[in-house]
Amino acid sequence: MATIDAQTLPTTAQEDPLEPYYFQHEEQKICGEFVKPITDNYDENYPSVVDRFFTRYYYLKGGAAYQVLYHSNRICLVCLAPSHPAYSEGIESVSYDVGNVDRSQNVVKGKAKKGGMILQAETTLALLKTNAGNTYKIPSCIRGKLVEVNTALVADPKMLERVAEGAGYFGILLPKIDNCDGIKASLLTQEQYDELLKNAKSEVKTET
Amino acid sequence: MKNQELIDYLESCGVCRVCQLRYLKARGTEYRDMQKTFQRLDVKVPADGIKDEPADEQPTKKPRLDICSTCLGLFSEDFQQQLIDGILHSDFAKYDSAGIVLAFSLPMALQLRQLSMWFALQRKFGAAVDNNFAPDVPIKEAVKLILHPIVCTQLNKEYDANGLMINIELRHSTEQADVAKLVELNKAAFPAKAAHQKRIEISRGLLEKQYQPARLKAELFEKFLPIPPAPVTDPLELQSIDLLGPLVCVAGRYRKLSRELSHTPWVLDGKRIMEDSIEEIIIRNVGGHFSETPEKITFMSSGREDVDVRCLGKGRPFVLEIQNARCGSLTQAQALAMEQAVDATGTVSIHNLQVVPREELTHIKTGEEQKRKYYRALCVLEQPATLDILQKLQISESFDIQQKTPIRVLHRRPLHTRPRTIFEVKARVQRENPRLLVIDVVSQAGTYIKELVHGEFGRTAPSIASIIGQPIDILALDVVGIDLDWPADVNNAAAVE
Repeated sequence: MATIDAQTLPTTAQEDPLEPYYFQHEEQKICGEFVKPITDNYDENYPSVVDRFFTRYYYLKGGAAYQVLYHSNRICLVCLAPSHPAYSEGIESVSYDVGNVDRSQNVVKGKAKKGGMILQAETTLALLKTNAGNTYKIPSCIRGKLVEVNTALVADPKMLERVAEGAGYFGILLPKIDNCDGIKASLLTQEQYDELLKNAKSEVKTET
Repeated sequence: MKNQELIDYLESCGVCRVCQLRYLKARGTEYRDMQKTFQRLDVKVPADGIKDEPADEQPTKKPRLDICSTCLGLFSEDFQQQLIDGILHSDFAKYDSAGIVLAFSLPMALQLRQLSMWFALQRKFGAAVDNNFAPDVPIKEAVKLILHPIVCTQLNKEYDANGLMINIELRHSTEQADVAKLVELNKAAFPAKAAHQKRIEISRGLLEKQYQPARLKAELFEKFLPIPPAPVTDPLELQSIDLLGPLVCVAGRYRKLSRELSHTPWVLDGKRIMEDSIEEIIIRNVGGHFSETPEKITFMSSGREDVDVRCLGKGRPFVLEIQNARCGSLTQAQALAMEQAVDATGTVSIHNLQVVPREELTHIKTGEEQKRKYYRALCVLEQPATLDILQKLQISESFDIQQKTPIRVLHRRPLHTRPRTIFEVKARVQRENPRLLVIDVVSQAGTYIKELVHGEFGRTAPSIASIIGQPIDILALDVVGIDLDWPADVNNAAAVE
């Protein structure tokens, strides 16, 4: 297949700069039938990665909300909920050095993730400072083993304000299979969280 | 020690002609025309030879018995006939293998008799008989030199160490009594060094290693077993004949059209998640020709794709490893019929189906990480594609990515960050829907392509998403090529026309 060279672009390219890049399906017969082009798999209502594989749960601590993305295989991502006040205050820094221990030193070995720190729901996973001068102790939200932290947040805390859902995760945790039902029951569901937000808004309104 | 003296002595001990030749250290073809070999070695034997020597001719000697005291009749014509009849009465005809190999399980009495004769010859001929090296061609070897060619000729087969294995178990009436004596002998000859030390089990291997004149005194041996070996009245008997077909490898390439078909049976908590699998479809249509036990066939392929990924282009190389195969050949017409039967499923297609030598399996097993894989991904942007995005996704120089174990498998695999090389990226946009990109990726084997596209929350970096600086998701994935030129192209359809 020819590579695209600016000098040899057909004249039509001036009218439509994408012209050289349009997809052309190549025909192939397998099992006696023409293979369907991959573009047939387009689905307008295709759910996002989070919607495909995760369930959203929420955890409240100190008036701030946190989001737990619960994968169907029970892996959990701990994130800020969209309503977290840090977003409006402006993110200044993220640290995994929570005082007595540095969570970024967490090391896991093997399939069973041996050696991962065991965290309780209220255990501090990371510290988040805002431009407003507040420090938020990010809770672990669930009881489980720490598998991984997101060190990219330490280097570039501002990314929290611009990345897509999930990419601002603070930690990846693996709960025990037996604890999963209890953990889910202890967290707020999306509906409960939405309800909470609605009530909070109306409270703000009534106050003013 | 002259050859003639040796043969005369062996003769007097009731040793058959074949075994006499063994003690003359005859090789390969020398067993075919025995008279000639004796002549060449300047040994005189009665012309009528092997059987029924009238006892009254040589009244001074022990009466000669029909059964050789060293091979217990293993090399007699009677036994050969019995053996061939036995094989023909087994399932032998079910196997089409052109090559056969005989595997004998011999009674230990044979080894004991060999040792006894060794002692006897040392007494008779003194230092001419070595302490460490047996005076005869070992029975196991002689079986190969003598019985193998005869059986192969009679059955019209070739000798092939990887062919149909005929396991022959022999028994002898004296075995139990002899082994009982051997156990006693072993206690006396090789006592356990300490009380707690477990006594070594008597085995053929132990006999071969320990039981030599260099390690065992004849006097001690004689307390338990006679020197030279005692005459016998019963010949060896066939205990059983078991057939084990050769390992046959059948290779080909498969393609997969369905996005709802797993590679191998997918079972969770004892329940099937998917009704069928590529492995089962192929074995179902190919296995029966080669084997009566398709459940023992092993399916291997050069990597695998996810359930929802199609495999197109030339397809993915695979091999079936068939144990105990009845049939080792496949005509192109038969291969074509199998290919057509698989094609009829509409979900899996196979071609280039052929029997391959087992040594070639290394192609599929090794170098897995080095192979290049060609993919086509259907991706969706949040906004219509721009020229800038398309230009950023025309990458012809290879680059390395760091990929963490994807979350989707992280619960059952260790967390690692793996470096992977992406050799080429080429994106196209769909005219009717410019949010849709079709991205062709050439990558090192073992790259998780779905994660390469969306970056999985930054856990794969760089990713297609990080290269264009905006979110992108993957809707569908096809494997379009696997960089392995094996097995060879064979057009079964063209050959049959």
